[in-house]
Amino acid sequence: MTLASPTSRFGMARYRWMNIGVIVGSVLLCLLMLPARLPGMELLGVTPSWLLVWIVTWSLKRSPWEGAIAGFTLGLLQDAMTSHYPTHTLGFMLVGFLTARIQKQRFIQEDFVSVALIVFGMVVLAQTSMACQVTLHKLLESQSLYPALTDIWKQHQRIVLSSAILSSLWAPILYYPLNRWWTYFERKTAPPGN
Amino acid sequence: MFALRQWWSRYALRASLLTLALMSAWGIHQLNAAPIYELYRWVTLPLQPGPSRSEVLEGSSIQELRQKVIELEIQNRTLRETVAAAPTATPKGVPAAVIGRSAGDWWQQLVLSRGSNDGINIGDIVAGPGGLVGRIIAVSSSSSRVLLISDSTSRVGARVSRSRATGYVRGQAGQQVIMEFFDKMPEVEVGDTIVTSAYSQLFPEGMAIGRVVELDLSKSPAPEVTLELSAPLNILEWVEVIPFVPPQTAPFAPETPAETLDLPETETP
Repeated sequence: MTLASPTSRFGMARYRWMNIGVIVGSVLLCLLMLPARLPGMELLGVTPSWLLVWIVTWSLKRSPWEGAIAGFTLGLLQDAMTSHYPTHTLGFMLVGFLTARIQKQRFIQEDFVSVALIVFGMVVLAQTSMACQVTLHKLLESQSLYPALTDIWKQHQRIVLSSAILSSLWAPILYYPLNRWWTYFERKTAPPGN
Repeated sequence: MFALRQWWSRYALRASLLTLALMSAWGIHQLNAAPIYELYRWVTLPLQPGPSRSEVLEGSSIQELRQKVIELEIQNRTLRETVAAAPTATPKGVPAAVIGRSAGDWWQQLVLSRGSNDGINIGDIVAGPGGLVGRIIAVSSSSSRVLLISDSTSRVGARVSRSRATGYVRGQAGQQVIMEFFDKMPEVEVGDTIVTSAYSQLFPEGMAIGRVVELDLSKSPAPEVTLELSAPLNILEWVEVIPFVPPQTAPFAPETPAETLDLPETETP
């Protein structure tokens, strides 16, 4: 119980900084992947939703509020890279919140297949929130430049299917290393005796 | 008060990191992700197509056609001078490599390797092999973003080059776009070429857009046709950015349908 020596405290701080580095670095990597079109990562002009996979990975072992805040932050970042309307923040916040809730109830085991399934469902949710915003804009704004409602939802269908398939297939590539690191980090920084 | 201090001593680090994260996300949001696109350009630098490749791609037949165009432009200018019309000077374009695509699935955009350092401004016209590609909507110091004419919020004033029937072109997220006419009975056939119209406030007149592939003239409220874009948007590697100053609003036609429909062309804020 008397392990709180200066060295271990120093070690803890070092792990904390490394964790911040991992978080910032992985988000940056996801952001840089967004405009890129690498072979095997494109289906009908749609690419995996990397930030959504990151939010799901983050929220699996955290509280719903942490998930929602991460969703909001990353939503702002993706809005910056595309356009400010329709916003990604709403969908991503919902994704972070719900992913954390699912895990709380322990219905789902933690493995690649269930993570891929969660990602699949969450992509549908996030893209539907985008389509709803576009639909609202079309219905409320008389000068709206968006196409007719049938076209919006046809586009939604195309995007949802390709994005959900691609994102869930590519999810382990992000989930595995990040999950490994956070498990390791928690073990290292857990208070002694636990 | 005590509870507050206890909370602070427990969550100080967490709260400040959270604030920092939110502030930096907001900052990047306000800058339209300029730092991220700069970094992206730097990271993809080894992957960008080199200048030699673009020269190879330009076949000798294209060179020959260019010579002919220049010849015709000169002839056109002299003819215009003889009829005392204002000579149209063709502005010099900046070649730019396409280094990325849209970062979201609901948009049709390109990321270019040139930015404000090379004299690119918001509103400049982007043309590729084949014709019109889009216009610049965001610029950072060495990269820029293009809204393609295939984006569903894009509107381009256009006309049939053969019959001069006017309308506007709207994208539908693919190589095919829709042109809607202002006339109830436009003179248009399959195979007609469509170019930008003189009414357009955002694009110069006479740039090639595409070719008519399908007619739907009984469509209500306006007759429409489907175009195949002449620039291959999904395989573009090089484009040309042409500076564009909108023409002075003509006093005779401020309220034509073309104009009112053309104005809100940019992305929704």
